[in-house]
Amino acid sequence: MAARLDRARAPDLPGAAKEAFLAAIVAFVLALPIIGLGTYDRGGGRLAVEPRWDWVAIGVAAVFGGRLLMALTRPARRAAGGRRSWVDRAGRALRPIQPYIALAGLLFAFVLPFMPFSNRYVMDIGTQLLIYVMLGWGLNIVVGLAGLLDLGYVAFYAVGAYSYALAAQYLELSFWVALPIAGALAAVFGVLLGFPVLRLRGDYLAIVTLGFGEMIRIVLVNWYPVTNGPDGLSGIPRPSFFGLPFAASAPEGGNSFHTFFGLPYVPEHRVIFLYFLILVLALITNLFTLRIRRLPVGRAWEALREDEIACRSLGINPTTTKLSAFAIGAAFAGFAGSFFATRQGFISPESFTFIESATILAIVVLGGMGSQMGVVIAAVVLVVLPELIREFAEFRMLVFGGAMVLIMIWRPHGLIAFREPTVHLAAWRRARAKP
Amino acid sequence: MTEAMPLLAVERLTMRFGGLVAVGELSFTADSAAITAIIGPNGAGKTTVFNCLTGFYKPTAGRMTLNTAAGPRYLERIDGFRIARLGVARTFQNIRLFPRMSVLENLIVAQHNGLMRASLFSVAGLFGLPRYRRAERAAVALAEHWLERVGLAEQGDIDAGALPYGAQRRLEVARAMCTRPIVLCLDEPAAGLNPRESAELSELLLGIRDGERIGVLLIEHDMSVVMGISDHVVVLDYGRKIADGTATAVRNDPNVVRAYLGEDEISSLAEVAG
Repeated sequence: MAARLDRARAPDLPGAAKEAFLAAIVAFVLALPIIGLGTYDRGGGRLAVEPRWDWVAIGVAAVFGGRLLMALTRPARRAAGGRRSWVDRAGRALRPIQPYIALAGLLFAFVLPFMPFSNRYVMDIGTQLLIYVMLGWGLNIVVGLAGLLDLGYVAFYAVGAYSYALAAQYLELSFWVALPIAGALAAVFGVLLGFPVLRLRGDYLAIVTLGFGEMIRIVLVNWYPVTNGPDGLSGIPRPSFFGLPFAASAPEGGNSFHTFFGLPYVPEHRVIFLYFLILVLALITNLFTLRIRRLPVGRAWEALREDEIACRSLGINPTTTKLSAFAIGAAFAGFAGSFFATRQGFISPESFTFIESATILAIVVLGGMGSQMGVVIAAVVLVVLPELIREFAEFRMLVFGGAMVLIMIWRPHGLIAFREPTVHLAAWRRARAKP
Repeated sequence: MTEAMPLLAVERLTMRFGGLVAVGELSFTADSAAITAIIGPNGAGKTTVFNCLTGFYKPTAGRMTLNTAAGPRYLERIDGFRIARLGVARTFQNIRLFPRMSVLENLIVAQHNGLMRASLFSVAGLFGLPRYRRAERAAVALAEHWLERVGLAEQGDIDAGALPYGAQRRLEVARAMCTRPIVLCLDEPAAGLNPRESAELSELLLGIRDGERIGVLLIEHDMSVVMGISDHVVVLDYGRKIADGTATAVRNDPNVVRAYLGEDEISSLAEVAG
């Protein structure tokens, strides 16, 4: 028995080599057409094929080496106690101070616009990041808490954006009036999608929601009289600061933001205002989620994710529970969508493609399903990093794929897989012990 | 059975899957403050009876009457989760806890409907109104009570999936009890338990019968548990009832012995006895 354990711990070179060789064959077959054949313009719009065998060799060698290393270190990692890698231990050490990290991040987010290095570019990335954080937190309700794999989340984002754009264009509603309407409309669409997919689970649910996302986009492209088709809607009004517009010249008989506060006109005011607006919207999403997790409906979502049959046996109505998750998740996407519309001033179906859904889902899954902090970290990785390494844009997908592989190996349950219980018996006992 | 209205009356219950008759023309009753065991060889249709009672299957024919405080309810017409709300709680043969939620959370989820009303469908809860705080405090107190009853008082904050097997079985009983049922259906609660744990389970079930005075329906293979605590035993074989009575009467019923041991064994048993 001991001998067998020892053998299991010792690196098995022939086995590892065989494994690496098989992986290298798969890589070769895939790389041959994808990497091996490059095309270039021969002039006059004619394409020519140029083989790049050296690249194929590098790729295959990298796969062979990586797989060999993984296979050889696997026994050592097992011996070190299952999944308890250094990443795990670091995570464990950080867990008690997680609230302080969150608070520090929040403070940083609030002072960012006033930092010396802050400029319009930083504000734009910050706003972009916060949109994704908010969408991630919204989708976290559906995927992370209720366990409903939704691949068409961007549809609700689109509903929110078009709701505001159309409401502004036809009904001349202001952003602040349209915001709740956009959220409510998105929630209605969430319920509409929810009804037909109630019986579906896992992969099947993912396929249907994927189709729903595409349906919304295709309707937006083709319903020319209303949505202006692929040309999109432009001239979407900007939000005002409690009725004060951000304009260089004040409107007739009124004030604009800078005249009211006696400031010189700076176009950045609006950018900073938009940044704070999405920051507040995202924080509302977060506070709502943290709160609802501790309420009966939030616990029912998590219970539904764990075992639907057991939920039925406890008298939980799975229909209303699932629909509420779809509706609330969709509502937050609707809010984010109308913010997106007012920030851009122009929207078209281009902005609501499947890749957006995939990015948001990747943020939730990589972050660790159900973890609010994980969503922020994953959003930083997936949204900000590509911006920072713009010079290496060609390698973006390579880095992205590599990161996915590393996470699959080291953090198969996402960056933050730890789940904080919503109620602590120990805390209740302590509270009761106090007079 | 002199009582006019039993807690639960099953009449001519039939469940067919295609050509297979899983349960055929089954009638029996179960009373409050009594343990009714349903036994039978593997594949006799015991779990199917539970699945019909708790609404997971719609029976092909038959009537199941639950006499609640608000009058009789016909379970064959009601959705599963609504049957649970009427007060029929169950456990599962293959344990179905919420493994990645804490032990206490499992018991709080079981009180979902009461808490949902107290939170005014989450509105009062979102704003932290005192009405919801009170309801939550009562829910935790009930959960704690049952944790003590099943001997898990110190394990409240760990994940349910991390509990040892026997403890998971007890937690499932506690979770069912937290729904404040009038009928508790237990599907093989002693499966996989060691003799000491089985004895503790018997104690727990007797405590529920005499303390809460609810009806307990029990599917079980462990005869030491069944014969020790059942007030009433129903024996199924191939979906049909072959015996019904007290534990002693059923044990001596030749039909039951034949179903369990087969014809040949009886003659050899008779020889031994003779």
